[in-house]
Amino acid sequence: MIQHVIDEPIQMSPRRLLWRRVRGHAGLLIGSAILTVILAVAALAPFIAPHDPYHQDLLNRLAPPIWQTGGTWTHILGADQLGRDYLSRLIYGAQLSLFIGAAATLISGLIGTGLGVIAGYFGGRIDMVIMFLITARLSMPVVLVALAVAALLGSSLTIVILILGFLLWDRFAVVARSATMQLRSSDYVLAARCAGCPTWRLLVSEILPNIGDALIVVATLEMAHAILLEAALSFLGMGVQPPLPSWGLMISEGRDFLFFEPWLIMIPGAALFALVLGINLLGDGVRDVTAPDGGA
Amino acid sequence: MTRFFVQRLGLALLVAVFVSLVSFLMLRAAGDPAIAIAGEGAAQADIENIRIQYGFDRPLVVQYADWLASALAGDLGRSTYFNATVAELLAERLPITLTLGLCALSFSIIVAVPLGVLAAVRPNSLLDRLALTIAVFGQALPNFWFALILIVLLSVQFPILPPSGNETWAHFVMPTIVLGYYSMPAIMRLTRTGMLQVLRADYIRTARAKGLDPLTVLFKHALRNAIIPVVSLSAVQFGYMLGGSVIIESIFALHGVGQLAWESISRADLPTVQAIVLVLAVLYVGLTLIGDLLNAWLDPRIRVA
Amino acid sequence: MKTTALVTALLASAALAAPALAGKADDTLNIAWSGELPTLDRYYNTLREGIPVARLIWDSLLFKDPATREYKPLLAKSYTVVDALTVDFDLREGITFHNGEPFDADDVVYTFTYAADPDNGVLTQRNVNWIDRVEKLGPYSVRLILKAPTPAMLEYLSGPLVIYPNEYYAEVGPEGMGRAPVGTGPYRVTEVEPGRSITFVKNDGYFEGSPKGQPSIGTIVQRTIPDQNTQLAELMSGRLDWIWKVSADMAERLARVPAVTVANEETMRVGYLMFDASNRTGNASPVNDVRVRRAISHAIDRQTIVDTLVRGASQVVHSACHPEQFGCAQDVTRYAYDPDKARALLAEAGYPDGFAIDFHAYRNRPYAEAMMGYLNAVGIRPNLVYLKYATLRDQVYAGQIDFTFMTWGSYSLHDVSAITSHFFKATKDDYARDDDVIGWLETGDTSVDPAERRDAYAQALQRIADQAYWLPLFTYNVNYAFTNDLTFTPTADEIPRFYLASWK
Repeated sequence: MIQHVIDEPIQMSPRRLLWRRVRGHAGLLIGSAILTVILAVAALAPFIAPHDPYHQDLLNRLAPPIWQTGGTWTHILGADQLGRDYLSRLIYGAQLSLFIGAAATLISGLIGTGLGVIAGYFGGRIDMVIMFLITARLSMPVVLVALAVAALLGSSLTIVILILGFLLWDRFAVVARSATMQLRSSDYVLAARCAGCPTWRLLVSEILPNIGDALIVVATLEMAHAILLEAALSFLGMGVQPPLPSWGLMISEGRDFLFFEPWLIMIPGAALFALVLGINLLGDGVRDVTAPDGGA
Repeated sequence: MTRFFVQRLGLALLVAVFVSLVSFLMLRAAGDPAIAIAGEGAAQADIENIRIQYGFDRPLVVQYADWLASALAGDLGRSTYFNATVAELLAERLPITLTLGLCALSFSIIVAVPLGVLAAVRPNSLLDRLALTIAVFGQALPNFWFALILIVLLSVQFPILPPSGNETWAHFVMPTIVLGYYSMPAIMRLTRTGMLQVLRADYIRTARAKGLDPLTVLFKHALRNAIIPVVSLSAVQFGYMLGGSVIIESIFALHGVGQLAWESISRADLPTVQAIVLVLAVLYVGLTLIGDLLNAWLDPRIRVA
Repeated sequence: MKTTALVTALLASAALAAPALAGKADDTLNIAWSGELPTLDRYYNTLREGIPVARLIWDSLLFKDPATREYKPLLAKSYTVVDALTVDFDLREGITFHNGEPFDADDVVYTFTYAADPDNGVLTQRNVNWIDRVEKLGPYSVRLILKAPTPAMLEYLSGPLVIYPNEYYAEVGPEGMGRAPVGTGPYRVTEVEPGRSITFVKNDGYFEGSPKGQPSIGTIVQRTIPDQNTQLAELMSGRLDWIWKVSADMAERLARVPAVTVANEETMRVGYLMFDASNRTGNASPVNDVRVRRAISHAIDRQTIVDTLVRGASQVVHSACHPEQFGCAQDVTRYAYDPDKARALLAEAGYPDGFAIDFHAYRNRPYAEAMMGYLNAVGIRPNLVYLKYATLRDQVYAGQIDFTFMTWGSYSLHDVSAITSHFFKATKDDYARDDDVIGWLETGDTSVDPAERRDAYAQALQRIADQAYWLPLFTYNVNYAFTNDLTFTPTADEIPRFYLASWK
């Protein structure tokens, strides 16, 4: 169970206050714990993976996991249809998911934040054009467009990251825009503007740092979104390419064995679920902790 | 109200045209439909013929202008794969997707709104935490994986539902759950937040102080106001569901637009893909419009502003 | 999970879904496949499944016996080859189309004239572009005039060139024919739900003495079911009687199910790796070097891939053709699985640490992945570019591909000219551009002396193997799964003949 609202402490230094909120937020703690584990697994993959994730052994294909009859400790989670060790692929898959999520979020964050800050700061016509772009982007069916482009261009790791990066910037733009609008008329921005500070410096040094908290929350949500979408694309065969151990691809390859070897889809799916859950819990937690009254 | 409506409608049209242009350019930049039509192992001469026959040899701008003019006149073109117009294909497939979308949305609302209300009435209670847990889990669950697990559970281990197809209502149960579950978290959270705010408002306190029946206060006064943002969110969610149906329909073999989209992509049947993107975009824009109008109707303050 | 438990489970699940449609009990053969037929009009469909459907509905002038590969008269009573460009046909009398229209010379003239007219845009022009014109010699006699000598003429006349009723087709056109087809064949179509299902009913008036034989089963219902798992569940629950293209893993498990028969038949399709030997791309790829191509050939254990993944009746092939094809010499250079030799060859070619290369493919992803695993083991780092067939084909034609995994079905033709000559005669597919090979193939294609042809092809195939322009991989096979009540014989040409199926 996850706890929702934090009791409001009174009269404490901001840092201690924050720390107390963090400690009291079960979701944040669970999320951080899950993410730490997955990050550690990804970082230490070469040391903890029992086998080379790409080493195939066709004669050993579809070896069952340890809990099924015929399972051995050599392949704790069994082997896939090319006889590759499932546990090792799972471990390296964590690297891949995290990398794709981070890279796609970086691209979409740059695009979205840039557009949002410009729209919020300048307002007027510029704002109208950017709002139009956001609306247009929102009305494009993401999965369909991503699939079509990947199918026609030929999918690869780079293309998947680019597609996701160029499709998932909308929430960054919306949040950055409204946050910038609020800041635009604040005292220190006005003061900086009067002091003859060039606009770009104002945007970078005054606006950006102050909307950072909100953007971090969006970034976690979008990272989770990107990871799920990558998995979905790979599941449909239009994401990253074999032999890369994408979890989505592993589920897709296991689909042919749905009725007979369901563990082939259970294992990578559970890993994917845990990762996205961890990221979401962390994002929700950061939002609750940094802006406890901030609604939604 | 009329002005508001006309403005929004204008914007919606503009968005649809823009989206169609972007998708047109993206699709045409990426592949050659003539080869797909000719089929595997076709001779080069066949491919050239087809290219000319379908007009794929003309400049992109001309092709787009041509397509847009026809689309505006209601002609979405011919499928390069099926011997049928895209409109015929859509007329046949869209009802299935819309049925699925409506079922999923209803399922989602029926579960999420009461949960959200109850969670708001007793914040931090066991129920609230349960609702939150469901929401958090729902957001993290990969829908295609959830679908496969349901098939293993409900069609193989405990065989109570058919694995795929769309012959009977029973075929719609699993897709509805999968698609609906995905949008539950957002609806539930918004209901909860809205209710929390409304319940704190003065008029509710007054109503309670006057000794009105608590249930009447909750549903007649509080929910009516808290539900306003949920309405427009639901419209948006419906749009997302139609987009998300690509994956769900292909897993459950529902003969809807989503599956048509996926297969048309595989066959590089660009006129069909193009039309589906347009239709989904228009539907989304239309639904947002409807959501806004419903909001305006439920909350007169918006109309003024 | 035990197979029996699974069968019970699936049976129950499907039984709940809808009332079971009995197969044998109500004389209805329920079949399914995953492809959606774009139209039933034979001339505007390129999906493989359109061929068996067309054979149910229509007849062509000739018939090719699947067992003996002999051409026999079908709608024609007899035919005479007058000269290299002229063939006369005497037609059978007394045959009627499903709508009652009588069959005569006008139908043949109309159909061929229509199909051969480029303006009508028949999708596979290769089938018709050799026809110059057709003349009516009498009410039941026509003369076919060719543009040039066409060795595969009898193949076309016995396959894709089905005869349409002239009056009906003139009236309804391709669209009407696609939705309500009319032919002379052993089955007539009573209902079409485009892309979803087709219902065929036995043509009781099917003409006596047709070499196709007489239809036996009363009704055939075809459904499109994209997902293989679903097809499987439906077959085991008895809602389907026949499916095909079942994967090797599924077939193996299905074979243990008592009520199901699994049959496997090799096909004409051959898988191969193609290298850009002549540096056509201008990329200066490592595969320009014959030692690298030989290294790759030694690196891949094709036999194990066939034994563990492809299975069925498939076999490893060594020549750039199908062993069953005329002229497909087998005594060519062979590359045994030998990773050490592969590494040595790579080192000799200047790649002791291997190299990275784009590896294209469009189907059988697991096979591609397995080959990549073997390449990895000798230090080559292939980067899989998995494309739709249309896209990959485009890039091959444009001369942009260094290294790709492709397959070729030779249009089920039993002649090397349908594969080797197709790929190595300076065509858009040709990345070897070897003048000697082109010369030998030209001799083989034009000579009329079988011995001379065989000899010329053997030389070409030996050069191709020695230079490793291709690495031929294996033949393909198809798994068929059907109810034990059904008598069905698969054929090597991948065309299921449902009109010959019967109940036990």
